[in-house]
Amino acid sequence: MEENQVLTTLKILIIGESGVGKSSLLLRFTDDTFDPEQAATIGVDFKVKTLSVDGNKAKLAIWDTAGQERFRTLTPSYYRGAQGVILVYDVSSKQSFTKLDAWLSELETFATKHEIVKMLVGNKIDKDKREVSRDEGLKFARKHHMLFIEASAKTKEGVQCAFEELVEKIIQTPGLWETDGREGVRLGTNDGQSQQGGCAGYCSVV
Amino acid sequence: MAEEESDVFEITDFTTASEWERFIARIEEVIHEWRLNKQYTSQPLKRGDFSGTWIDKTEIITFADFKFNVTRHYLKSQEQEVDIPEDDQNETVPTVLQDVVSMENDFPSRAHCISRWYGLRDFVIMSPAAQNEAIMAESRSNLVLSSIAIALNNTGCHIPLFVQVHEKWRRLYFGLSEYPGLRTNFEMVHLKHIPPAYNHLSGLIDMFKAKLNCSSLSASSPVQVSIRFTFVLQDWPHYSWTQVPPDFDAGSGTNVGMTDLETLPFGACQDPVSELHLAATWPSISEEMVVDNANYSDLDPLQAPVWSVRLKLTDDPQCLMGEYLRDFLRLCRRKESLDQLLPNFSLDDSETELPATQALDKLTKPAMGYKLSSMTSISNAVSKASTRLKHQTTEEAPIRGELLNKILLFLFPDAQVETADLPLVVPVAEGEENKNTAIETEIKHLLHQLKSAPVESVTHKLAVCMCLVHHSYGGLKAVAHLWQEFVLEMRYRWENNYYIPLLDKSIPNMGCSLIHQKLQMLNCCIERKVKREAKLAEVNSGILHASASTSSINTGKPGDMDYIETSNVTEETNNVAMETDNITMETAVQSDAESSTDDEEFFECNENSSETSTKSNQSKQSDFKTINESSTSQNKNSDSDAASESDIPEKISESSNPSSQIPPTKTPISPIKPDGRLRQCGDLLILDTEIPLYIPVTQEPAPMTEDMLEQHAEVLTKLGSTSEGSHLRAKMQSTCLLSDMESFKAANPGCTLKDFVRWYSPRDWIEEKETQTDGSIIIIGQLSARMQIANNMWLEVWASAKPIPAHRQKRLFDDTKEAEKVLHFLAALKPADAAIHLLPMLMHAAILRLCKTDEIPTPSLVKILTQATTKAARITRDSSSSLRSYEEVVQHISLAETFVARGESIRCKFKQEVTSSESSEIQTTREKFIRSLLELPEVPVIGAARGPEGKIIHKLFAEAEKASNDLDVDVAPSLENQPPSGGDFPKPAGREYILRTEVPRPAPYSKPSPQRLHCTLLNNEFRLAGAFTEDTTFQ
Repeated sequence: MEENQVLTTLKILIIGESGVGKSSLLLRFTDDTFDPEQAATIGVDFKVKTLSVDGNKAKLAIWDTAGQERFRTLTPSYYRGAQGVILVYDVSSKQSFTKLDAWLSELETFATKHEIVKMLVGNKIDKDKREVSRDEGLKFARKHHMLFIEASAKTKEGVQCAFEELVEKIIQTPGLWETDGREGVRLGTNDGQSQQGGCAGYCSVV
Repeated sequence: MAEEESDVFEITDFTTASEWERFIARIEEVIHEWRLNKQYTSQPLKRGDFSGTWIDKTEIITFADFKFNVTRHYLKSQEQEVDIPEDDQNETVPTVLQDVVSMENDFPSRAHCISRWYGLRDFVIMSPAAQNEAIMAESRSNLVLSSIAIALNNTGCHIPLFVQVHEKWRRLYFGLSEYPGLRTNFEMVHLKHIPPAYNHLSGLIDMFKAKLNCSSLSASSPVQVSIRFTFVLQDWPHYSWTQVPPDFDAGSGTNVGMTDLETLPFGACQDPVSELHLAATWPSISEEMVVDNANYSDLDPLQAPVWSVRLKLTDDPQCLMGEYLRDFLRLCRRKESLDQLLPNFSLDDSETELPATQALDKLTKPAMGYKLSSMTSISNAVSKASTRLKHQTTEEAPIRGELLNKILLFLFPDAQVETADLPLVVPVAEGEENKNTAIETEIKHLLHQLKSAPVESVTHKLAVCMCLVHHSYGGLKAVAHLWQEFVLEMRYRWENNYYIPLLDKSIPNMGCSLIHQKLQMLNCCIERKVKREAKLAEVNSGILHASASTSSINTGKPGDMDYIETSNVTEETNNVAMETDNITMETAVQSDAESSTDDEEFFECNENSSETSTKSNQSKQSDFKTINESSTSQNKNSDSDAASESDIPEKISESSNPSSQIPPTKTPISPIKPDGRLRQCGDLLILDTEIPLYIPVTQEPAPMTEDMLEQHAEVLTKLGSTSEGSHLRAKMQSTCLLSDMESFKAANPGCTLKDFVRWYSPRDWIEEKETQTDGSIIIIGQLSARMQIANNMWLEVWASAKPIPAHRQKRLFDDTKEAEKVLHFLAALKPADAAIHLLPMLMHAAILRLCKTDEIPTPSLVKILTQATTKAARITRDSSSSLRSYEEVVQHISLAETFVARGESIRCKFKQEVTSSESSEIQTTREKFIRSLLELPEVPVIGAARGPEGKIIHKLFAEAEKASNDLDVDVAPSLENQPPSGGDFPKPAGREYILRTEVPRPAPYSKPSPQRLHCTLLNNEFRLAGAFTEDTTFQ
């Protein structure tokens, strides 16, 4: 965990309707805990975690945003410079899914990086009452060139994998994270073998 | 054998090896190192192979203290070279000899001179390493050649080795190549003048035959000849380079010398295409087929079967835009501050004018007077600016008043006279703007990534203006002056509520450059200020009205009155307190509004007086809340009878609305006059009441420029990722939430957090259907779990929120402060700093200007433009970009400009010949031809003299020739002795003959081997390069 081993610092953004579990996903990822009493985020929040992908350490600065309509006048300014974005919906709420288009268009407007890597996460798959099928999620992700995964912050399912996959994709996207003028640290492309551990076949690069 | 010999003591002694031996050893070493001793065969050369990739590698070897560069040049071959088995070697013709007789690459468009003269694809050259060293003596040259011969023989290397002799510029090489049984000598003659005897083909053939010393030559095989004549066209008829540098000598007359403030000058100052070279080629004809002697020549270029053309380009055609940009970059390096540059520049209108100024005033007066008379109210902004500038029209003002006025009117066109027939800024035709040229579509997506400013924006225009002003209207001082004026104008506009024109009023767009964001910010501030002042005026009049009729406080809707009647006593007392509080607030506001004209003060609640009452109010509300919450499960549904007790007549009709089912057991109704309502929130009602829920007027969030945002984000990140940090962050950002809650409370007297959540975060309001015992279904709503967490931030903020409408709240966005910050930022910039900030826009403008060429761009232009744009996009996004990287972009841009200028020039030359009768097909091939002229070193003319392009070229030459003949008639007769030329063509500037044959050498019984002589006849140069092969076995 030495600082000099960190390959790069990546800015990742979590957006989506209010109450879909953005903060819970983040908390699960950073602290591996789940708080059913997670307070609603005000404005933006921020967490840091170092993640190792294929032997490359990346420091993640993850910005968690409030989903409320009114905060949307405030939060997009933090989209600036993000290399990756996690777009979250709640599989037990159709409405949170139908709003995704609006979120995407907002992202188009405010994100400054041209090739920002987008990941769609369908959260709360632990719930019995499902309103959005996995297929619908997949279709949406395919249409918008996103990574897709279903997850549950409560049961831990898919959370770690979602972040890892996103980071890996960012690192594999040239020009997205390298700082200008610094060459050399190029990663060997490991096409096809990127799926590791328990998430083989789970995440799909659409 | 070996055993026997081992008995003999033989010591090989290298200790006394001479320098010469070491030199040979070193050559051999290099040959081994490069594996040149390996024999391989290659495919015969194909046409155009020489334009493939050439590779060279160099070693340094020494002869005593004399250093040689040994360089191998070879053509990268596509196929794998095949090793030949030893026994086959005698049967195959060595690659070198194949190459020497190959006719496929006779006149390569671009090749090393050795391969041009000898047709070789692989060779090694030894040349003195030091620039000023040369092998001048023949003996030394022979010594090196001998060394080469020994080394080649020792190693069995077939690749020819050359040594360069005499001065380097003479390109004089001697070489040698050895194969089993054969040797080729490469020899060369280089003279300054053409010996008359060899000034034609027949003389050269005679010499060739004499050299080969072979009487039986004609009997064996005739000499094959390839001929190329090159004609140079220097004077383009009917065409002179029209681009003149813009005349900036802005001294006299009414013409200010400024034609266009909007566009960067563009184009080359001199013709970027200086010459057209036409090569007429006769490939491979037999010596008997052609007559070319001192008296007569068959070689008429019009009859030549192959034509090709190449362009000679001007090295540095002095392109205007590149020049302007480089000049601007120099500006960016200046260190002077405004004060240093404009020491006598007085900003105040103090009466310090000199008589001279008044005289100048008089000059400009008529125009000014006219303008002033017809100016609209908004145009006073600039009229003010012009009055200011009039005072500055002293001798030392770097930009003269009239010009400055013009620039200012260009940047701030809202001050322009409406019935303008004055020669001011010509608005750009809109159709033209929308028309995308071909290149634009190509690199459009890249241009989007540029972090600059919209093309029509004031920022963009300012950047272009600055560049023009710096280059042509007074340099650094003028830039300082203009920048000063600009900053003053910005302040003037802020102080007098005039929007900055040509700039949207939206929040700062972070996709734009920082300076553009700053200006947008200023516009935002102006907008807020205007709104605020309008509101103030409104409120002022409203308060006057209110104080006239004191009862107006409760003149709400009739429904409100009903509720006031039903409200209980305790609340009424409470309300009284609120009422008085309200009044004190309002009077405070009133006095405040009257006293303060600078608007620094905003309506603040009187903290002390309101605190107690709101506190009681809050405690009440939280009471209600707890009651409500406890009752949600038990009371609500069981109170149908209680509902019937209520006096509300609409109740039954609205029974579909779940909230109406719930009786107002303790309606927290406040008699405060609802304030700051925007509109009704759907058909929602305040819980437990029949009052519609209103969305309040809220404060707009504070716009931020990227530097502000960065600071803000840094503060937020510094709090760390602990839970305390999170809490603090939430607290820091809750001002907006608080403001919204306060507005909401003001708009919806008697509301609860639940009401607020239903508007603000609907997904935190959970409604569940519940079936009653009597079978009816009612819907019960409650706050989500996370909103119910004790002491969560939402509850805390709600508790601290006072019912204050947005317009009386403390401003979230202090426009005055922010505007001052922007103005200070601008004023603190040195001219060079301002220039640096404007660079992105300038790069953008330059690239756009490049795209404005109508023609389909050539691939290399697209490539260079793409590179320039990509680089520009990257450096404009990186705030730490150095000027050096901008210089690189400017270099790219200059190069692209040259490309465009070349294209325009060559098109112009060919297009004038276009007649309307030509079919579009011909025109497309012509366009293709022109494009390849720009892209390739040499372009074949299809159909030679008879093709459509050939006809144009012929005509161009004929006209040029006619023109020159008209000029010097006297010289014409002296052309008699000159080599032949087609009537319409000038004397060829260069003639090349390649003579080839195969004869047995040195003796008639030797093995026949290929011989080649390449002759170059130029005006002041005569060169023979021969490759003569001889049999080393049968001599």
